Amino acid sequence: MRLRMAFGKKDDAKYIAHLDLTRVFERALRRAGIPMAYSEGFNPHPKISFGSALAVGVEGEREYVDLELKKEDDEDAAAVMSALQGQFPPGITLLEGRVMRPEVKPLMAVLNLAVYQVRLPLAAPLPEESLREAILSWLSRTQVNYLCFSKKGRQEKDIRPWVEKMTGSVQDGWVALDLEITIGNQGSVRPEEVAASLGAMENLPLTLGEMRIRRTGLYICHNGRRRTPLENSDGAQAGGSAAVEEGKEREA
Amino acid sequence: MKNATNAAREDIRPRVERFLAGVQKPSRYIGNEWNVTRKDWDQTKVKMALAFPDIYEVGMSHLGMRILYHRVNHHPEYLCERVFAPWTDMEQKLREEEIPLYSLESFQPLRNFDVVGFSLQYEMSFSNILNMLDLAGIPLYAAERGPEDPWVIAGGPCAYNPEPLAPFIDFFLLGESEEQLLAVLDLIAEQKRQPLPRREFLRRAAQVQGVYAPELYQVAYQADGRIEKIERADEEVPDRIEKAMIKDLDEVLFPTQPIMPYLEIIHDRMTLEVMRGCSRGCRFCQAGMVYRPVRERSPETLWRQMDALVCATGYQEVSLTSLSTGDYSCVQPVIRGILDKYKDERINVSLPSLRLDSFGVQLAQEVQKVRKSGMTFAPEAGSQRLRNVINKGVTEENLVEAATAAFKAGWSHLKLYFMIGLPTETREDLDGIAALVRKVVDIGVKSGRRNVAITVSTSSFVPKSHTPFQWEPQDSMASLEEKQKYLKERLRDRRVKYNYHDVQTSFLEAVLAKGDRRLAKVLLLAWQKGCRFDSWSEHFRYELWLQAFQEAGVDPHFYANRPLAGDDVLPWDHLSCGVDKEFLIGERDRAMQEVTTPDCRFGECSGCGVCGGLGVDIDLKG
Repeated sequence: MRLRMAFGKKDDAKYIAHLDLTRVFERALRRAGIPMAYSEGFNPHPKISFGSALAVGVEGEREYVDLELKKEDDEDAAAVMSALQGQFPPGITLLEGRVMRPEVKPLMAVLNLAVYQVRLPLAAPLPEESLREAILSWLSRTQVNYLCFSKKGRQEKDIRPWVEKMTGSVQDGWVALDLEITIGNQGSVRPEEVAASLGAMENLPLTLGEMRIRRTGLYICHNGRRRTPLENSDGAQAGGSAAVEEGKEREA
Repeated sequence: MKNATNAAREDIRPRVERFLAGVQKPSRYIGNEWNVTRKDWDQTKVKMALAFPDIYEVGMSHLGMRILYHRVNHHPEYLCERVFAPWTDMEQKLREEEIPLYSLESFQPLRNFDVVGFSLQYEMSFSNILNMLDLAGIPLYAAERGPEDPWVIAGGPCAYNPEPLAPFIDFFLLGESEEQLLAVLDLIAEQKRQPLPRREFLRRAAQVQGVYAPELYQVAYQADGRIEKIERADEEVPDRIEKAMIKDLDEVLFPTQPIMPYLEIIHDRMTLEVMRGCSRGCRFCQAGMVYRPVRERSPETLWRQMDALVCATGYQEVSLTSLSTGDYSCVQPVIRGILDKYKDERINVSLPSLRLDSFGVQLAQEVQKVRKSGMTFAPEAGSQRLRNVINKGVTEENLVEAATAAFKAGWSHLKLYFMIGLPTETREDLDGIAALVRKVVDIGVKSGRRNVAITVSTSSFVPKSHTPFQWEPQDSMASLEEKQKYLKERLRDRRVKYNYHDVQTSFLEAVLAKGDRRLAKVLLLAWQKGCRFDSWSEHFRYELWLQAFQEAGVDPHFYANRPLAGDDVLPWDHLSCGVDKEFLIGERDRAMQEVTTPDCRFGECSGCGVCGGLGVDIDLKG
């Protein structure tokens, strides 16, 4: 059985590194007594795959994971989820799940849009109007070079193509940015890089050291239409075990 | 009065969270793992911080930490929380932001606890103890601490010679602490109700088996630097402190709901402790002396603990630990029981420290379905003569037999551990290492294995207290380096990889292992100059240690490289693990005569003195 679930990764759980999250799921499944399917080969490992890696310290409101379980009965989805939820450390909350047909493409291959909310304190007062203008000015650029330091050393990359949308507001000395960023195997840009670039290019008094980032959603975007990996291609929401049969029919 | 309240914890947490995402591996510093114990700070009578002077991944792998954490928290009125040495990036942040070192469970500053208890696993972690106390804002010297400060205590193998730490620690706990520590916490609870003067309290604490308060003992020195005498400063405390120990391993609490770390730790698996103690009697080995006698845990207890561990952890691997698991009399039935019961769960068994013989290979074969890792053997010395000197009861035939069996069973990668610089070692013994390695390579090639790979590791002999070799000098650094070079030349083969330990680290380890109270000043100076994480090669700063020795006017070679006489007063003469000094002298003499002493489990009593003296006996279950 292939179970796709949406979950939140918040509070202390935001400090769990992406590679460690697989272990957290694996151990929770084992404690819950839910039999996992294993990969073939020399060193078999359970088939747990996440949609998109979340950086350490970033909260995820709605992340996605696919589990391959050694269970035949598709009606078990709700029972699996409630058994599993009882075995998670604080901060990890299962939100919704659905049994997927085996031929459905993996999350990693289909998710192509991430939505972030970035909050950062202002070092000096800033009228909201100025923030809006700055964002428009940044977005109007055809190319935005950003200097990053990676293992390969100093590297300049154009980050503009990855930013689909950016809006912002000012409240109580904090700036809130809403970002929509293209993700996938072609590469991407990190939300903190966009915020840093905005501050530098448009001369905004942003304090980068205390940035708080939340990823509010991950989507599959096609021809201007957007859906979650738990929705069918026609946009209908399917959730819980009752929706499972219906979903199968439509995809067939 | 400790009146730390929720205010303190609410203060630290948000301040840490402001930068935590920017440090390496932040889940080291956040707590809140699965199976963590959270107790109400205000409702518990005694609050203890269990402190491990190394990073989270190392400390969390240590069984003793787990045992004591659960033992203390098992008591309804006592609370135990954890703290580890912050890695250097985190230390820098804590210092910049002026945040005191805090416990992982409730983010309480360490100084709000009644007791801070350090685990002493290796000498090279000593500088981290000072660093952690300093980060906590606790005065380093016991003499500078007042009634407002926590009791700073310490236990673990290095407590058998804790003298370099003497002025920093209020009292040490010798031996196995499960019962002893609770007795100490009872006294601290009493002390909070009705405070006694410090000296009075220490005198009471010293009545608990294995408790050693250094300030109740005075050391006098001779003009040449040797110790003249060690005397108690108080009539009411014992002349010699005898270790505490657990008589029956089936009767003692064992943690079956261990904390599940988020990040991968060094030993990231379930642990079953099958026995304590080892009576093989290797003459260099401190653990083999101080954990005597051998006491086994029954298979029934182990299986019961296993069931609980599987349910509580979700781990897929269990390690059967002890000093020499192949010697556990019920090892085969225990392994079979586990493998049979948990076939469907795909649970693996790992066996550290197997004996070098075909039985060891047979056991390894039973538990290892996929031959993923190498097989490790520890002949320790290259010639039969030298193996007799160190009482490592293995022969070349054992190794040949074991290597043949291992290659036949499908292993192609073997690891061989040796020691260099052992007492009486000559060129022939080094040549013996090279010859033995060549022999193993040949066996591998003849067995038809492709990709035969042999990793040879040498460590440098470090004389340790409470062993027959405690009187022996360490080989000089120049000589050890020359021997490493000699071996490197003789082990040149594309199938052989040779690793060796840094001699400066081994030298400092010897200095601290055989050190006395005069080293405390050196330790303080070295820490002030920036030494910490000395067991991490990227942080070990030998030149700073040398400066510290020079400034303190202490000659490190006096400790590491000077042979001691049988009638010399040793810095640890007042501390006893139950093994008689006469036995150790006898063993040293037998070593020089190249005579072995058999394991008392299988033959006659060798008269080490433990069984009679401590009211404990060998306890075998098979």
